[in-house]
Amino acid sequence: MSSNSIRILAGNSHPALAKLIAKRLGTDLANVTVSKYSNQETAVTIGESVRDEDVFIIQSGCGEINDHLMELLIMINACKTASARRITAVLPCFPYARQDKKDKSRAPISAKLVANMLSVAGADHVITMDLHASQIQGFFDCPVDNLYGEPSVLRYIRENIPDWKNAIIVSPDAGGAKRATSIADHLDLDFALIHKERKKANEVSRMVLVGDVKDKVAILVDDMADTCGTLGLAAKTLMENGAAAVYAIVIHGVLSGKALKVINESVLTRVVVTNTIPHAEKKKLCPKLDTIDVSAVLAEAIRRTHNGESVSYLFQHAAI
Amino acid sequence: MKNIVVLTGSSHPKLAQRICDNLGIELSECKLGKFSNQETSVEIKNSVREKHVYIIQSGCGRVNDNVIELFILVQACLMGSAKRVTVVTPLFPYSRQSEKSQKKRLPQHQIGSEIMSSLTQQADGPSSLPQGTFAQSFMGMSIGEGGYRQWCARAGTLVANLLQAAGADHLIAMDLHDPQYQGFFEIPVDLIYAEPCIIQWIRTEIPNWRQAVVVSPDAGGAKRATSVCSKLNLDFALIHKEDLANTKESMGLVGEVAGRPVIVLDDMIDSGSTIYAIAVHGVFSGPALEIINKSPITQVACTNTVPQEEFRKLCPKLATIDISTMLAEIIRRTFNGESVSQLFVHDEQF
Repeated sequence: MSSNSIRILAGNSHPALAKLIAKRLGTDLANVTVSKYSNQETAVTIGESVRDEDVFIIQSGCGEINDHLMELLIMINACKTASARRITAVLPCFPYARQDKKDKSRAPISAKLVANMLSVAGADHVITMDLHASQIQGFFDCPVDNLYGEPSVLRYIRENIPDWKNAIIVSPDAGGAKRATSIADHLDLDFALIHKERKKANEVSRMVLVGDVKDKVAILVDDMADTCGTLGLAAKTLMENGAAAVYAIVIHGVLSGKALKVINESVLTRVVVTNTIPHAEKKKLCPKLDTIDVSAVLAEAIRRTHNGESVSYLFQHAAI
Repeated sequence: MKNIVVLTGSSHPKLAQRICDNLGIELSECKLGKFSNQETSVEIKNSVREKHVYIIQSGCGRVNDNVIELFILVQACLMGSAKRVTVVTPLFPYSRQSEKSQKKRLPQHQIGSEIMSSLTQQADGPSSLPQGTFAQSFMGMSIGEGGYRQWCARAGTLVANLLQAAGADHLIAMDLHDPQYQGFFEIPVDLIYAEPCIIQWIRTEIPNWRQAVVVSPDAGGAKRATSVCSKLNLDFALIHKEDLANTKESMGLVGEVAGRPVIVLDDMIDSGSTIYAIAVHGVFSGPALEIINKSPITQVACTNTVPQEEFRKLCPKLATIDISTMLAEIIRRTFNGESVSQLFVHDEQF
């Protein structure tokens, strides 16, 4: 019969992003209700037929992560039993991505567990953005598309940071150096690095700047901002070393715990996050917060996956 | 008992402690918590290498948190080279699968029925809404556009598969809602029953129990009730719930209960619409405790598969049947490789 169509299902983690994506694709969100029974178990009600359709389930690993993870798994399983043709899990922020190795005895590799759970539930394909370690793609047997927020970040810098041609890209730790150099190369700017010297475990004793930031606008780039302890200290170090202003751009703005307080009290001019994680409430409490909209990137990836076109265009160019 | 490690999740640590006291071993130290971004954090303090690990977690409280914590614990033991991982679930999460019970549990169903009754009152007026589409879209079993019947996803097989994918080798569950659930698993499943504990409680706590009648609150529980009856040599009765179209349920009693103490037996009390009960799993969500307090119940007894301390403070009619001895026995027997079936033949010592 006729070829199948895209169906977008959204969980409760980030309905605003799902609506934006659906709007870009020119469809409505599918009629699915996700709620809880009185004993706290998750209840998923499918309201329309998904038989032989190309289903995309949008759920981000944020907020009440365990609840949202169970919602995602149950939705995937429900679509599988409803005979969907292909089920793609779209996870703008991958849950448990930071527990990806056994760094001490008896530590679980929760990222591998999540990958197993998604496969067992019935996902045929996974789309995610800026995985903490791109090797996590290897945990899956099914195809994984790891999209990059970099083109959107580059566009933001060019359009919104005054005097960006005189800026310098700084990585707040050694692990993010590769990410920062890539951005610096694309913009043809200089690069610097902040090195944490740890005297005792869990106590950052000193931050050492490697590179010269005098009189330049410093742009800190990282993949995730959680408690923002590192960002706050890094900004302070940069100002002490003569930077003119400090911006921070991160892909996943988790901003938990005291993060907003740290940002408000720090010397940062602005903190920019993408909308992989909802933060509308946080913006009211922290005027320094700004947003990069990545719904276009995700919507384009979904469209190209459905049509069988190449997605690699999106790795270089920001979707409009 | 060498080479055994008993771990507990955060759902019911007191039960786990009692089980360990029964076994005469220490509960293994394990730090459970959440990271600042709400991800679950698990740290097992002692070595599990080449040991037989038992993980005790009940599907109560914040179910999704406890379920994910269980999976992460299983995975951590797998990564720590445990010889065998057995999961012990006093209350198995997401175990209720029947279509009918799920429709009733949905909040929409309750909203729909109120609107339905107000609609039928308005039906005669000139401003009445077209009953077809509007009313139908509110009932849980609605017909949407294009004749599609909305349905609720059942998570039972999924949870079974996830548990196996996480790395469990064996499952011990208590009084599963549907015993056929064992077939969803590739790994061996041991089902145990709280019946011996319940029978002992009846004999010790209910005065003149010999004249009592055991009643099943619905047709599905008849088998469970008759099993208890035959062991105690009591009479049996049944309550038949008729579901009329608009949720007014009429209850019909089949059997004689006049002038005798009545024991109503069920496997789970969740929303509390059944009264005067002994039940295995006392979940008590929603207005359950209020309903029990207001009703003509003498006493409600539940096992401690779900933590009961908070519930008992709110409802003085609540009593607890301790099943930790049962679980400890089954752990001891599976660990030693002994037969478990003796526990079900009969109940003197429990």
